[in-house]
Amino acid sequence: MKYKDYYAILGVERTASDDQIKKAYRNLARKYHPDVSKDPNGEEKFKDAAEAYKTLKDAGKRAAYDRLGSHPPGEEFEPSQSWGDQFKTQFSDGQSSFDGVDLSDLFASFSRGRSGGGGRGASNNGFGMGGQPADPNRPIPGEDYDVTTLITLDEARGGTMVALNLSVPTYDAQGQMHRETRTLEARIPKGATEGQRLRLRGQGSKGHNGGRDGDVYLNVSLRPHPLYRVDGHNLYLDLPLAPWEAALGTTVVVPTLAGLVNLKVAAGTSGGQQLRLGKRGLPKPDGGEGDLFAVVKIVLPNALTEREKTLLQEIANTSTFNPRTELFKEANHAS
Amino acid sequence: MQVETHNVLWLDSSQQVSVQELVDLSGLAEDELRELVFAGALTPRNYSELPWTFSGECVVTVRKASRLRDDLELDHHALALALGLLEQIRALEAQVANLRAQIPTFQSC
Repeated sequence: MKYKDYYAILGVERTASDDQIKKAYRNLARKYHPDVSKDPNGEEKFKDAAEAYKTLKDAGKRAAYDRLGSHPPGEEFEPSQSWGDQFKTQFSDGQSSFDGVDLSDLFASFSRGRSGGGGRGASNNGFGMGGQPADPNRPIPGEDYDVTTLITLDEARGGTMVALNLSVPTYDAQGQMHRETRTLEARIPKGATEGQRLRLRGQGSKGHNGGRDGDVYLNVSLRPHPLYRVDGHNLYLDLPLAPWEAALGTTVVVPTLAGLVNLKVAAGTSGGQQLRLGKRGLPKPDGGEGDLFAVVKIVLPNALTEREKTLLQEIANTSTFNPRTELFKEANHAS
Repeated sequence: MQVETHNVLWLDSSQQVSVQELVDLSGLAEDELRELVFAGALTPRNYSELPWTFSGECVVTVRKASRLRDDLELDHHALALALGLLEQIRALEAQVANLRAQIPTFQSC
């Protein structure tokens, strides 16, 4: 198994007191907890910190960890037989080896040996905090899994299937825990949008002693689209118009998720104005549909021809329109 | 290899969940759920009637509450405060996302 330096992960000395360990963990948890942190690597950092803290906050586990010695992080090592004899984990029964076991599994098994404990849901009811043995026959719920799944707008519009690979714990005849990859498919119905949460009941890891099976929770995230911006079930699209198209009105072809549609632009349309195409957004779970909004963007040619310059100059000379009337009215009002 | 296909349950207002379901799914005690309701961090559909029922979205909230309680060792006052602030952040982020969606991009075509 690969060695992890729990003290280094928490940023404390090997001689740190319980209070120093707790303080270091809490600082890291506040910074990297997945429910709080926006750090893309926060979840991994939090998992490491939580694993380190779970071991070091418990005097028995800390003593066992310290007896493993100090190794460079990531170095392959195996606990000695005398270590197993002393600390009575399930791996020390003479039949099981440490093959395929990582350090977190080792210390999790150390808990189970004393408490009959299991996944996250059980940690507060059993050995976790106090070190008192719990009823080995108590129901242990299976682990839940939280998975973020990235889908395209087209997949959100039509519904899709996503494949999930879960690392689930399994137990061999000696009761030794191994992790294996379980693949399942989830059918995401149309109507899901950014941030939608979905649940696959009972598809997490198996419960023990009559405990319920864990669930899989999906967090739907939409892959960014080159044309559309998403707000709930509504879509927004930039609609570039030439100044004369905006001024005189026109009909333009607009791409929607369902294909091309003609959109009539009224004369006198301003930049930033939103032109609504009803029910051209994403479908909603209740059967309705969001809207597509074309946001007008007035665009000038990179270089005007002489003729264009002449015509625009003619407008400038003729027109009495002042787009800044409101600006000066407000400025005078304020002064 | 045979891959199993599963249908999902929506965790939104179309789903109704009981107190017992929230307890089972989160690992919080019923008393803790009640405290979250009284602190305004969790809103039943029928506050003035018993038994309370909740919208499916509350499953997300109570699971988050359970993780924060366990991982940050928060008591129920701190938990309610944290959930309230996280909800405010979520609402503000949604507002920013909404406004961003409405702003045209300004690079040249």
